[in-house]
Amino acid sequence: MATELYKIIKEWVPSESKVIDFGCGDGSLLEDLIKSKDVLAYGVEINDLKIEECIAKGIPVVKQDIDKGLDEFESSDFDISIMARSIQCLKNPQVALHRMLSLSKKCVVTLPNLGHWKCRLSLASGKMPVTAELPHSWYETENIHLCTINDFENLCDEEQIKIKDKVYLYTQKRSNKFLQINPNLFALEGVYLLEK
Amino acid sequence: MKVITELISFTEGIKLKSGKSLSSFDLMIETYGQLNEKKSNAVLLCHAFSGNHHAAGKDEKLGIGWWDQIVGSGKAIDTDKYYVVCCNNIGGCAGSSGPLSINPETQKPYGKDFPEVSVNDWVNSQIMLMDYLKIPYWHFVAGGSLGGMQALEWSIKHPNKIKKAGIFAAAVKSSTQNIAMNEVARESIRKDKNFFEGDYYDHNVIPKDGLKTARMLGHITYLSEENMDIRFGRKFQDEESKVGQNIDFEIENYLQYKGEKFTETFDANSYILMTKAMDKYDASEKSNLDQALKEVEAKLLIIGFSSDWLYPPERGKEIQVAAMNNNIQSSYIVLDGDHGHDSFLFSSKQYSNLIKKFISS
Repeated sequence: MATELYKIIKEWVPSESKVIDFGCGDGSLLEDLIKSKDVLAYGVEINDLKIEECIAKGIPVVKQDIDKGLDEFESSDFDISIMARSIQCLKNPQVALHRMLSLSKKCVVTLPNLGHWKCRLSLASGKMPVTAELPHSWYETENIHLCTINDFENLCDEEQIKIKDKVYLYTQKRSNKFLQINPNLFALEGVYLLEK
Repeated sequence: MKVITELISFTEGIKLKSGKSLSSFDLMIETYGQLNEKKSNAVLLCHAFSGNHHAAGKDEKLGIGWWDQIVGSGKAIDTDKYYVVCCNNIGGCAGSSGPLSINPETQKPYGKDFPEVSVNDWVNSQIMLMDYLKIPYWHFVAGGSLGGMQALEWSIKHPNKIKKAGIFAAAVKSSTQNIAMNEVARESIRKDKNFFEGDYYDHNVIPKDGLKTARMLGHITYLSEENMDIRFGRKFQDEESKVGQNIDFEIENYLQYKGEKFTETFDANSYILMTKAMDKYDASEKSNLDQALKEVEAKLLIIGFSSDWLYPPERGKEIQVAAMNNNIQSSYIVLDGDHGHDSFLFSSKQYSNLIKKFISS
């Protein structure tokens, strides 16, 4: 899934652009983008061990709690900002979206789909879903703002954020026609290219 | 660890930022490890205001080096891999030219007549040192506090001679409060009856009380409130180990002891010179910080400590923001640090790992 996700993001990130990745983890996406697209990359991360991994890879990183603000970086002119699999962990996802779009004209957001049939099945049987994409129990998870793909797209609509492009990731193939009839039920992850 | 201590004379002299010159000057240096064949492993350490050339290992006279927790065989700055150089800054009192040195014109110690020095002068003298040591460029220049300002200055002024810079517990410039604290310290020295306007060498005395008070104040600013609480609390000092009269609390004893010790090794005129250099440094003095960082090519590692109230982490963030505006590959990390401003001197797992990984990345 990560390779598939990286492939999509790489298509959207312009060569030699200035990129900021919020919740960059160990920096593997940025490392990939530096190698394949020669970007100038900055990661933002809060976990100390992951920060060390970024430093070891030679990726510039800023230790910062995204919930506490992105304002400091507003003076910098980024081409694209990325928030992969992190937006559901934030206290104010919609505020973060607007801030990202004030940092850069384009932004990439990816999120796990709580509408996936396995999650629904879990809830129908009376349990919070624990899946490969959402591996932690409700009491351990950092995901405080999970949503379905439809929920997210509605939020973008309400907040007047344009969805320039989107790709749904399924278990196996991206292009299974049958599953694409209802992505909110079958997609594991939504990958979005957003603009103001 | 191969350690070499050397006093180098630069007979060609140096023109200082103040407009004055030294017709010749000495640098006291210490080096650790060896320069490799490619000459690609040189590291420069810049000391803070009261530091010296003795950064690592144990010296009979100077004790344990100021960055011994970070620098040494197998440590964060690994002397098995890197050729590490540290010099006592001009104006200091550990062997390099300073107020204690003999003024060739008068054949007496310079005293108060030693010219004003600046961070820029130190960098310029280190350029000369590089030539002397046949080092083409620094793989890494690092320091904390005033040493961090030097590392920043290196990256600004000599982009082609530095690959990476470590700027720890530092700032673009001293704050108003920093200057205020330093002025109280300087005033206590000046008001000492043995100061004699800086010419105390002639009278065979030192302004000991003033210097001691200055250092005691300094120590308060280097530690954090929490760290002081944990270390000393309101504990009373036991009778046997009291270093003076009128001492009740452990913190009093600590400050008295540290202050006293300091006067045995540090020169009061140097104290004034070094704090002035610190106060006057401003990386952005000619324009704004964004403009000042325009030429920087080095990769930066900026580390601040949340317990540091002298140069709090936000000061490091200013550098990071300007670095990002200039497309400089720069990282900014805030660590807790248990020791307030002094945290940059002490090893912690995170701090050491970050430095180690940054140097070798």
